[in-house]
Amino acid sequence: MSRATTTPRESPLLPESDAREVALLFVVAALCFLAALVALSARSSYGAAAEWTSASEGELTVRLRGVDARAAGRAEALITEIEGVAQARLIPREEAAQMLAPWFGSNGLPAGLPVPTLIEVSAVPGAGELADSLTSALGAAGFDALIDDHAQWGQDVRRALGMARFAAFAAVALLVATAVAVIAFATHAALLARRDIVNVLHLSGAPDPFIANLFERRFWLLGLRGGSIGAVAALGAAALLVFALGSHAERTWLLPRLSLDFWDFLILLLTPIIAGFASRIAARRTVLNELARTI
Amino acid sequence: MIVTMTRHSPDRIDAPSVRFDRVGLRYDSSEDVLSDLTFELEQGAFAFLTGASGAGKTSLLRLIYLALRPTHGEVYLFGQRVSQLRRAQLSALRRRVGIVFQDFRLLEHLSAYENVALPLRVQGQKEPNYRADVEDLLNWVGLGERLHARPETLSGGEQQRVAIARALVSKPDLLIADEPTGNVDPNMAERLMRLFAELNSRLGASVLVATHDHGLIARHNAPVLRLQNGLLVRDGQERAG
Ligand SMILES: Nc1ncnc2c1ncn2[C@@H]1O[C@H](COP(=O)(O)OP(=O)(O)OP(=O)(O)O)[C@@H](O)[C@H]1O
Ligand SMILES: [Mg+2]
Repeated sequence: MSRATTTPRESPLLPESDAREVALLFVVAALCFLAALVALSARSSYGAAAEWTSASEGELTVRLRGVDARAAGRAEALITEIEGVAQARLIPREEAAQMLAPWFGSNGLPAGLPVPTLIEVSAVPGAGELADSLTSALGAAGFDALIDDHAQWGQDVRRALGMARFAAFAAVALLVATAVAVIAFATHAALLARRDIVNVLHLSGAPDPFIANLFERRFWLLGLRGGSIGAVAALGAAALLVFALGSHAERTWLLPRLSLDFWDFLILLLTPIIAGFASRIAARRTVLNELARTI
Repeated sequence: MIVTMTRHSPDRIDAPSVRFDRVGLRYDSSEDVLSDLTFELEQGAFAFLTGASGAGKTSLLRLIYLALRPTHGEVYLFGQRVSQLRRAQLSALRRRVGIVFQDFRLLEHLSAYENVALPLRVQGQKEPNYRADVEDLLNWVGLGERLHARPETLSGGEQQRVAIARALVSKPDLLIADEPTGNVDPNMAERLMRLFAELNSRLGASVLVATHDHGLIARHNAPVLRLQNGLLVRDGQERAG
């Protein structure tokens, strides 16, 4: 008998795949898809809102009553001097009139109407609350001033966002926990079907870690694959969603934006890794539990 | 009752391969399958184990190949008290034991060749190094043409021969064979027995063969352990020491 050169390479000690594992792959992919999608949309709406609130934060409007143009100019100069103010701009009467146009029509304002004098103030980033120092400085100089602060509004938006983010986080956590549980369960089932292999390996003198590693490697790869499929699908779905909404909605500034920054990539990268670890650890625990019943 | 096998090589001073000290076994709540067995299988010994169906032959062998713990008493393997060993040490002992299971236990997804190579892979050996040994052994048991066949495509007798090749391939210090000739014709049975004898005489391995084939026992001059009512009775011929 010729020494066969056709002898195939060592095949895996565990069967390549079976229907159970294909089903498991699908489940892992689906769960990872949902988790990544929730995480991505939580991330992007938070990002949009953060941008949005920070844009409106640090902006104040000062409204002066009973001042002429010269006094308004003095007030503007005074405000510019206050610490923490980056810029102050007196809004010209025509611009203010334009803002009021929706109420008074395009014919212009009635001549006698006292149009308020408005000064737009932007703060140096991180300067903190300016409203109080503006009020006291203007009051001391004898101005009758009202400060319109956007901070309150920004806080409301942030509170709502915080809750949305918490809900998304809870959903992601729940999905991850479910995935881990499903994987652990499926691993257990796969192991019961593989009991003969575990047994023969065990009685051939394979140490517990050797046997556990076989299953760990198998389920690590399965988790990674399922997770990657899910993550890529989530990315595609998110892009599609933004594209579809973006092309139909006028108020695009309200949309979550999918800029795919570092954090989005991190989510997409972490999804398969978490799935991989979940299946790997579950596999290890199940195999070792099973082996603990043998002598 | 004490049954002591004569030493195959009298100059050995090593511990017996197997020693049972008042070993009893009971599954769940049923009555004792084995009661109070005390015997030794000396290193290098060749012995038969016989007894009616259900007498407990497989159970006794399972105690030896460390698939079961006794309900009471102590089992010693290669001089080591099994109950005192850690799991890693038990694994190391198992690697010195070749087992032919009564129900073969071949892995269905592996070819005959790969099934035979399994114990070597467990020992960490790599494919090109063991190929010759595995193929020679499969040739010897008459399966040189079926190297890549899956177990399900083999006859019962062919599967049995793959199982035997797997038990022998790592040249174990102790061979435990549970009805190894139950599915083959008398010619093949003799051929397989010669393989066991060779492992025993050339490599000094201890061999314990469970069988109800009286013809087989009659043709071989080896001590016989008979299980009856959970006890060991010794009969048959004794090989001169
Ligand atoms: N896992 C088990 N659980 C409970 N009882 C068992 C188990 N294995 C074997 N038995 C019982 O132990 C007794 C001995 O069985 P064993 O398989 O050792 O007999 P045997 O001598 O090998 O029989 P055979 O010649 O038919 O192979 C039988 O009565 C059997 O029913
Ligand atoms: Mg039996």
